[in-house]
Amino acid sequence: METQLQKALDELRLRILEMAALAEKAVDKALRAAFSRDVQLAEEVIEGDCNVNELQCAVDEKCLLLLALDQPVARDLRFILGCTYIATNLERVGDQAVNIAELALLLAQRPEMPHNPFMEELAETAKAMLHQAVTAFTKEDTVLAQSVCEMDARADTLDLKILKHYVDYMIQESRAVERAVHLIIMSQNLERIGDLSTNIAENLIFIVKGVDIRQTCRPY
Amino acid sequence: MAQQIKMLSEELDFYYGSFKALESVSLTFIEHQVTSLIGPSGCGKSTYLRCLNRMNDLIPGTRVVGSLTLDGKDIYDPKVDVVDLRRRVGMVFQKPNPFPKTIFENVAYGLRVNGVRDANFIAERVEQSLKSAALWEEVKDRLHESALGLSGGQQQRLCIARAMAVEPEVLLMDEPCSALDPIATQKIEELIFELKKTFTIIIVTHSMQQAARVSDITAFFYMGKLIEVDKTEKLFTRPRNKQTEDYITGRFG
Repeated sequence: METQLQKALDELRLRILEMAALAEKAVDKALRAAFSRDVQLAEEVIEGDCNVNELQCAVDEKCLLLLALDQPVARDLRFILGCTYIATNLERVGDQAVNIAELALLLAQRPEMPHNPFMEELAETAKAMLHQAVTAFTKEDTVLAQSVCEMDARADTLDLKILKHYVDYMIQESRAVERAVHLIIMSQNLERIGDLSTNIAENLIFIVKGVDIRQTCRPY
Repeated sequence: MAQQIKMLSEELDFYYGSFKALESVSLTFIEHQVTSLIGPSGCGKSTYLRCLNRMNDLIPGTRVVGSLTLDGKDIYDPKVDVVDLRRRVGMVFQKPNPFPKTIFENVAYGLRVNGVRDANFIAERVEQSLKSAALWEEVKDRLHESALGLSGGQQQRLCIARAMAVEPEVLLMDEPCSALDPIATQKIEELIFELKKTFTIIIVTHSMQQAARVSDITAFFYMGKLIEVDKTEKLFTRPRNKQTEDYITGRFG
């Protein structure tokens, strides 16, 4: 028989998945806005961010009540703590999507920059990391979560390559300095989404295995 | 400071007639630590607690196999004086059970039974015990009134004072708060924190939160076996055994 606490935990899981779906959608839209210079899409991302923020408040309130009223222990306790961290990270993913959307708005008003394959690769890597972290949470799959942590190095490398690329470009083309700086910031936003996805994956490992692999990202 | 083993059971079996109520329980109790014994009804935790001061001897047809020591000495050795053992290993029960005597006489009882006659000594020990049980301020002006007039929480603290008057080394508590309201429960729990400076405490509780709050070590029993024992903080956050996890998270059965 499912207890009231289990029902409440299932509900909490649904809230997190709802948040994750919104955050993933926001990142996807923001990137499409940036790559296709679509101002309307960018504005939708900025307007939609309040939904992610509201869900985070709802998750926090739910966790607070569960801790106070049910005094959970062991895996239930880890799940609730993990959910508050995951909600925080998803809200920050939403913020990064907004940052990218704002840059997209700005860049749409400037001459187009030459195509940069590293930027696309980083965007795909960040999206894949976020999606895998959310899937790992849904399936409670620690192996998949660990693979997210391992992808982070690739995101860091790409971010550095993009920085180097645009620094070189700015030396050659001084008129593109402003746009290049914005693209460097966008790259950092993407790299940050990778970090936040890694945090989510690490929290899933904490929930399932009870081990804290943060900072080291060591295999548990 | 090195941790001293106060009590130790090794592969302890216990039988009620032919029924084996405990199977191969090995558990160490460290001096000045609080150990909680938890588990569903009928798991053997109270039976085990009563083995620790041979209270089960009073039940006909019971039998103990294995070893149980206090300060390294076998408490089931035929030469052991059981009255002295129960003075050293005191007990507080589920329901407060004061004698139908005055508050003073309740606490003095154990001393008198042990042959103490010095009135001043007894008066001093009664005051000291009531103070240690955090009851002195509430009863100092009515020491010669009946203990039965005290509230449930006060009666339970009186029973603790009574147990402490004979200076035990180990205090066994069998669900000491199950008949008490939350305020009285909190007072007993606060008291346990103080008492562990002097005693080694072993407590049986059905309240997981109480075990988590008061104990240093928690042991989980199921069907007469010790399933898991660990530091309380570990057991309630990262239990190793699935049965423990299922029990403490209420998914049992």
